[in-house]
Amino acid sequence: MIYLDNAATTMKKPQEVVDAVVHAMGSLGNAGRGVHSASLESSRTVFDTRERLAAFFHADSPKQIVFTSNSTEALNTAVKGVLNPGDHVITTMLEHNSVLRPLYELERAGVELSFVQSSRQGTVDYEDFEKEIRENTKAIVCTHGSNLTGNLVDIKRVGEIAKKHDLIFIVDASQTAGVFPIDVKDMHVDILCFTGHKGLLGPQGTGGMCVREGLVVRPLKTGGSGVQTYSKTHPVEMPTALEAGTLNGHGLAGLDAAVQYLEKKGIDEIRREEQHLMWRFYDGVKDLPGVKIYGDFDRSQERCAIVTLNIGDYDSSEVSDELSMTYEISTRPGAHCAPLMHEALGTVEQGAVRFSFSHFNTEAEIDEAVRALRELTTEE
Amino acid sequence: MSENEELNYYILFANYTQGLLLQEILKKDGISARIAPAPRSIQGELSCGMSLLVRQEDIDGVRESIERNHAEYHEIVSLPCQIRPHRNKFC
Repeated sequence: MIYLDNAATTMKKPQEVVDAVVHAMGSLGNAGRGVHSASLESSRTVFDTRERLAAFFHADSPKQIVFTSNSTEALNTAVKGVLNPGDHVITTMLEHNSVLRPLYELERAGVELSFVQSSRQGTVDYEDFEKEIRENTKAIVCTHGSNLTGNLVDIKRVGEIAKKHDLIFIVDASQTAGVFPIDVKDMHVDILCFTGHKGLLGPQGTGGMCVREGLVVRPLKTGGSGVQTYSKTHPVEMPTALEAGTLNGHGLAGLDAAVQYLEKKGIDEIRREEQHLMWRFYDGVKDLPGVKIYGDFDRSQERCAIVTLNIGDYDSSEVSDELSMTYEISTRPGAHCAPLMHEALGTVEQGAVRFSFSHFNTEAEIDEAVRALRELTTEE
Repeated sequence: MSENEELNYYILFANYTQGLLLQEILKKDGISARIAPAPRSIQGELSCGMSLLVRQEDIDGVRESIERNHAEYHEIVSLPCQIRPHRNKFC
């Protein structure tokens, strides 16, 4: 099987990640619950992961790294934790439902919502962020990279706008963490939301937030914390303030190993390899008859390793099914939880077929995918 | 649509759990059903991205099995094949 659905989850993980999870399954107690050796091993594993991620994202301190089960939980915690009825928030048409649905929920509760529009190429005009700012604007919520087109957003530029107007800047780094350098201080990011199972190459069920020191976020969940048992309220100290219940220690052990792998190999090298494969695929299919590719493929700019396309008026689900059944190539058709992006691209009815690449893919796999599309586009 | 045009029969669901449950039920009843992406043209707003693709000759058996087992599903829809009309493979 040729796996080209890495934007959904990276299936191939470094062996170190697998080994770390297996080891943890046999050795970890509950982090932050007691000081016997098994509990301490779990606490140290979780702490090491916090430290490593804090350095990775240039956070103020490991205590500002909060673990969640994925980006969706992180984004829900972030937006629901800082916005109140009467506030205004700006987001974009590039967003995933993990941003949109929590914001729509808040809109029903009295939060005002504005969208920075997208071009037909899936890009934003940065001046539009500033144009949308009102007196009661409290935050900007923005993706770093579209999960549909692969287009990047210049987070630093948006962060500067947020800083200039004293707005809270929440970034969805689901598609970029682990591949593109992220410096939350330099980019003026107040809350970075990430998932562990995509570019960070960790296990599913891991993810988190990197919260600027001093920013108070209302917790989404309260409950067991292992500390302050007799208090009726959840602890306010970070990171406990935003973590309730037993953490996914086994998964975090894998995430820790994954980030060590990224440090060792270097994300610049990973990105170079992914970009090479993406452009090889793009160049191989862009001129095939009937192929329409979505997104901005300006070679002077970096982008996520994603190529999304359609063939004529074929239903994207049928194309993806054919690729799977005949060629054993795994892609993602349909709507990709990005309704507004599909509206902007004009692909609501047809959907689109997304090919997304990992540095673990090979040139031979890319060539096979190109060959498959060539056959599909030229068949009688 | 021409008289000889081959149709695909898709069972649509509200979520993956409904679909996987029905596939187990159909398997017990000896009916082949392959998991396939639900075509966008029939998915609408309420069904999920997975469907079960079943043979035309099995449709009556599928409906009977669904009723007998009180299985949940969204809709059964037929659609002409767009790509390679003879490509269908069933579990």
